[in-house]
Amino acid sequence: MSEPEHALAAKSAGQLNDEMLSSMRTPTWQWYGLAFFLGAVVAWGISAFTYQVMTDLSVTGLDRPVMWGIYIANFVFWVGLSHSGTMVSAILRLSQANWRRPILRAAEAMTVFSITVAGLFPVIHLGRNWVVYYFMPYPNQRGLWPNFRSPLLWDATAITTYIIGSSLFLYLGMLPDLAVVRDRATGWRKKVYAILAMGWRGTAREWVVFRKASTLMAALIIPVAVSVHSIVAWDFAVTVVPGWHSTIFPPYFVIGAITSGVAAVITLMIIIRRVFHLEDYLTPLHFDNMGKLLLVICLLWSYAYFVEVQTTWYAHEPIEWEVWSFMSGKYTPLLILMLVGNSVLPVTALCFKKIRRSVRAMLVITVLINIAMFIERYLIIVPSLSHKNMPFVWGSYSPSWVELSVTAAAFAGFTLMYTLFAKFFPMVAVTDVRELGVRHTDIKLGRTKVHSLSEEE
Amino acid sequence: METLGIFKDVETATRAVDGLIKAGFREETITSLTSAPYPDGVIVKTDQRTWFRWMSAAGGIFGACAGFLLAAGTAYVYPVQTGDKPIIAYYPTGIITYELAMLFAILGAIAGMFLEMKLPPRKERPYDPAIADGFIGISVSVPPGDRRNRAESLLKEAGALRTTSEETL
Amino acid sequence: MEKITSPYKWGMVIDLDRCTGCGACVVACQAENNVAICEKKEIAEGRNMHWLRIERFWVGEYPDVRVRFLPVLCQHCHDAPCEPVCPVYASYHNPDGLNGQVYNRCVGTRYCGNNCPYAVRVFNFHDHEHAWPSPLDNQLSPDITVRSRGVMEKCSFCIQRIRRVKEDAKAEGRMIKDGEVQPACVQTCPTEAMVFGNISDPHSRVSRLSRSPRRFQLLENLGTHPSIYYLKGGGREHV
Repeated sequence: MSEPEHALAAKSAGQLNDEMLSSMRTPTWQWYGLAFFLGAVVAWGISAFTYQVMTDLSVTGLDRPVMWGIYIANFVFWVGLSHSGTMVSAILRLSQANWRRPILRAAEAMTVFSITVAGLFPVIHLGRNWVVYYFMPYPNQRGLWPNFRSPLLWDATAITTYIIGSSLFLYLGMLPDLAVVRDRATGWRKKVYAILAMGWRGTAREWVVFRKASTLMAALIIPVAVSVHSIVAWDFAVTVVPGWHSTIFPPYFVIGAITSGVAAVITLMIIIRRVFHLEDYLTPLHFDNMGKLLLVICLLWSYAYFVEVQTTWYAHEPIEWEVWSFMSGKYTPLLILMLVGNSVLPVTALCFKKIRRSVRAMLVITVLINIAMFIERYLIIVPSLSHKNMPFVWGSYSPSWVELSVTAAAFAGFTLMYTLFAKFFPMVAVTDVRELGVRHTDIKLGRTKVHSLSEEE
Repeated sequence: METLGIFKDVETATRAVDGLIKAGFREETITSLTSAPYPDGVIVKTDQRTWFRWMSAAGGIFGACAGFLLAAGTAYVYPVQTGDKPIIAYYPTGIITYELAMLFAILGAIAGMFLEMKLPPRKERPYDPAIADGFIGISVSVPPGDRRNRAESLLKEAGALRTTSEETL
Repeated sequence: MEKITSPYKWGMVIDLDRCTGCGACVVACQAENNVAICEKKEIAEGRNMHWLRIERFWVGEYPDVRVRFLPVLCQHCHDAPCEPVCPVYASYHNPDGLNGQVYNRCVGTRYCGNNCPYAVRVFNFHDHEHAWPSPLDNQLSPDITVRSRGVMEKCSFCIQRIRRVKEDAKAEGRMIKDGEVQPACVQTCPTEAMVFGNISDPHSRVSRLSRSPRRFQLLENLGTHPSIYYLKGGGREHV
């Protein structure tokens, strides 16, 4: 706990502001290059999707019986990723862990952008996207409301709630930082930030209300996050499809989401730290602690997966075992990569402090975890649909170029939103980090001076 | 109605607050303006009670009713038989009720928070951009006149770098 | 909220001991219901549009080989798994006991297709607007729509025929007689392996056959309560 505070204590507030807000300087040609490249990938994906809408769904790899493919794998993956910010931020806020402070903003922004990307996929995969408004509940002359008994409507409700909730959570956390940015900005930027900062002055009373609101929001957003991914899990668990109809799916999906999210936050921390020179703020200590969190979550995931397969194997219900054998037979390399990336590697490697503190090792581990999580979504969806109850219609699926382009565009779009966000908004929770400096003092205890930190109320 | 003094650090700021209290200004009229939150009492003592959570609760109740009407109400009014599920089904109704309750609880929390902070402000209030870089502002709510001038001089004595008040905005 | 009831509960009996696997029912269904004609490539991709398929299973080793045929069509389950999952009520249960599919309401989420354990639902992955090269388009039935792309479809027990007979019966002020309404497949079957009628009438032919000791239903363990009974016995085997 002592390292970051000592390093930061030596700097003045102005210097701290300068360093933490360094991401918002005038963009370099590298930034433009990156934005342009990502924009090009997104444009390519949009054109592929337009081609799909103008032609028909035969441009995808979908068929009977595999009617959901990589689009839905994407949907579940991105919803899972959106658990990053809220879980990390909310849990760490409520447990008052001080090392959360530099990480919060990046994590919360990640949530908002990944749930936005996730929300696009249910529209992208529709056969008749142009009548997607049939989903919306409003009085109309068709005399029909949407069917709330369908898990897809639960999805729509939950994702709407989560997008609004996490955006407000992000905005709330940014409020004092926006005031700092407003004070340092000039011209049209100052006007925009002034509107966003809502006239925040930092009076003592404003801080009291702000702190209570942050805690309340954190407490409210966690149940929403859990419910969102449980609802996505129910899309599968409430069906009669063998391999999907499993009661462990909701907790299993939530655990998978947290795994994916925590790993993604770590990856993002590493990238931000490098690109914006925030080495003093995101220290090996932070990676150490996040690594421990990741270790626990990967253990939980391994446990859930083990339980899932073990019950399938022992009861050996013919069709369920058939689905598992088919999956492990046809997709063996993917299965092995998934198990290594999600379970074997993290659980063994993250036990070692040296690995947790090594930024390079953490980058490799966390990127592998997310690749493995994507594969895991794919392996849940496609093999179960390929081998349903009637063997005469067993089929297969492989994604087409259209689907892969849209997937790539999703990743590029997410990264692009992040890149734009980093340029216009404070990427590190400035006032939160400075709060640590404000609360700390060195007091004389016995024979030496001890570093002390006053606790939050 | 506010006079604002800008101070370099915590010591001078607390000296100013002590001076103002000794001169008879009530502590409720004095507040600090900082870009990082100081623990309560370090510079000024503030009332720690808040009421915005009741708005959040109200939002939650409203949302629950809205969700129930949406899931159960619309199904009742336009009944369509699907499978073996009843027209008004427990689990789906429960899920939609819960989600909308949480959504409106969150919206209520944010709205309540802004209302309690009285933001965005209706008229312009004194502020100094130096506060963002770590300077501390001490603001006294006092009507213009002798008391105002007394407050300003006290602030300057304690070491304020500059003072502003609403008239000079 | 009153429950809408109907004196009819449509059901079907398929006698597998009589089925020769000729496939005439498949062709009749295609002709009657404007089912798209698919190219070889589409079928190879697994995107055929057959509402009714004849599943063929080889049993035994040469020279003692036998073949079994199983015509599978929409089972019109009373507890259909495909109905509650449609987010827009395109799939619903009609008072006559039919599982209805509303083409112009379907948004194309394909959840119903995934949740059907019999995999009888087919999706218009391809745009079949020009699937009937002239002069085959003359055979299109005006009683039923030609589905656009992105819409799910399946066997409807020839609901257009049921409707027509219902209108005639109503005009004459009587109930539908047993055997009066015949879906295309039932009408065409040369061995009379398929029988259709009102199962809630205990004296109808389909009712009597559905009480046969040879009866079974597909995937009974899933509790979907299909409207179709299969008969197989002749002695030993079950499908």
